[in-house]
Amino acid sequence: MICERVREQIPECLAGRLDSASRERLLAHLEACPACRAELAEMNAVWRGLGSLPEPEPDPAMRARFLEVIEAYQAGRASGLGRQAEGLPHSRHVWQAVLAFALLMVGVFLGRFVTQPRGASPDVAQLQGQVESLRQLVTLSLLQEQSPSSRLRGVTYSYQMAQPDAQVEQALLYAVNHDSNVNVRLSAVDALEKYGANPQIRRALADAVPVQDSPLVQIALMDLLVELNDKEAAPTLRQLAQDAQADNQVRQHAAWAIQRMEVSQ
Amino acid sequence: MDDEQAMQDVRAGDVGKLELLFDRHNRALFRYFLHLTSNRAVSEDLVQEVFFRILKYRHTYQPGTGFCAWMFQVGRNVHMDHAVRHRAEVAMPERGWDVRSAEMPPDRQAQSRQEAALLRRALAAMPPEKREVIVMSRFLDLKYEEIASVLKCETGAVKVRVYRALRELSDRFFALCGERAS
Repeated sequence: MICERVREQIPECLAGRLDSASRERLLAHLEACPACRAELAEMNAVWRGLGSLPEPEPDPAMRARFLEVIEAYQAGRASGLGRQAEGLPHSRHVWQAVLAFALLMVGVFLGRFVTQPRGASPDVAQLQGQVESLRQLVTLSLLQEQSPSSRLRGVTYSYQMAQPDAQVEQALLYAVNHDSNVNVRLSAVDALEKYGANPQIRRALADAVPVQDSPLVQIALMDLLVELNDKEAAPTLRQLAQDAQADNQVRQHAAWAIQRMEVSQ
Repeated sequence: MDDEQAMQDVRAGDVGKLELLFDRHNRALFRYFLHLTSNRAVSEDLVQEVFFRILKYRHTYQPGTGFCAWMFQVGRNVHMDHAVRHRAEVAMPERGWDVRSAEMPPDRQAQSRQEAALLRRALAAMPPEKREVIVMSRFLDLKYEEIASVLKCETGAVKVRVYRALRELSDRFFALCGERAS
């Protein structure tokens, strides 16, 4: 038992990390125990052997690729934020930024394979995944910005995601429920349409209708629920249609939405 | 500026500070992955992926947490994801990595090269989880507390794991030496 405990300290001893008291105890034990001495000798040989193995260095191009990714990320963010300062039309420039960003990333990763052939074939799926991840990254980052205009850019970026993404989905839902700016909330409602196949999202949208303080957002939410033909939202809408406290237009729209859902049955 | 402060700055939006962290740690990460994958190109890609994830999930970094341990946690996840995606592929150790041979007589150089090759073979044949603790403790020079943080276990457990891994590596190495001698 004592040998086992002592031996567990050998790697620490070899690494020079054993405190002096433990080291003294270990040495005292080794003097009296040939088996543990043999163990130490073997492990010492291996430990030293590991230390004499060369330390391979990564290709310097790895750093260049890393910097390109950072630059691409910053360019993606800057293009989103820069537009805000310029006050230019929305969709065209966001498209340009996204396209430029995506093309830059394609260039970065293809360049990495083309300039450094190592026998491995370019993995297009991986490349697409990286571009998609960067889009997601830009979307999520913009949605966290202080400026409502930037958050609007974030919502617009979310349209460029080829596949629905759980994190973006949650960020958009959060924007619908908590963003202080009505325009951001309205845009987030529209952007959530592509996530409408998810019943949890439909439920969350329906739950958001009565608690929204903006009639515009409430109406947009109801329009989306009608678009998605979410019949499970009908009880919520019915309640809203009869709520005397609710905005008159909202109540009328809720009644209209229920009617539309019933017609489409 | 220490790593933790740099990472806090990255977290706060100063993405440029990631370059500083990359310069400090890319080699250690590269070696970590190289020992796990035996493939330089893949290891470089995984290093990129780690820093990409650090950027992406920078908000999850908790100030006060050791950056190194957190980074290797991310690295570990990146490697696990890679291993799942490439489960069918068998890693073949690459050639190269000549042993340092400065000022050694030629016969000793040849012996050292042989021993280094056998040691690399023995290390490559280790189960991944055991190879990983050896890499962390020997090549990355991580403290047991840091390894425990990366592996999400107690420091005492790391002590036992490192010992057992080194024991197994010794057995494998001397077995290979014996085969060669016979």
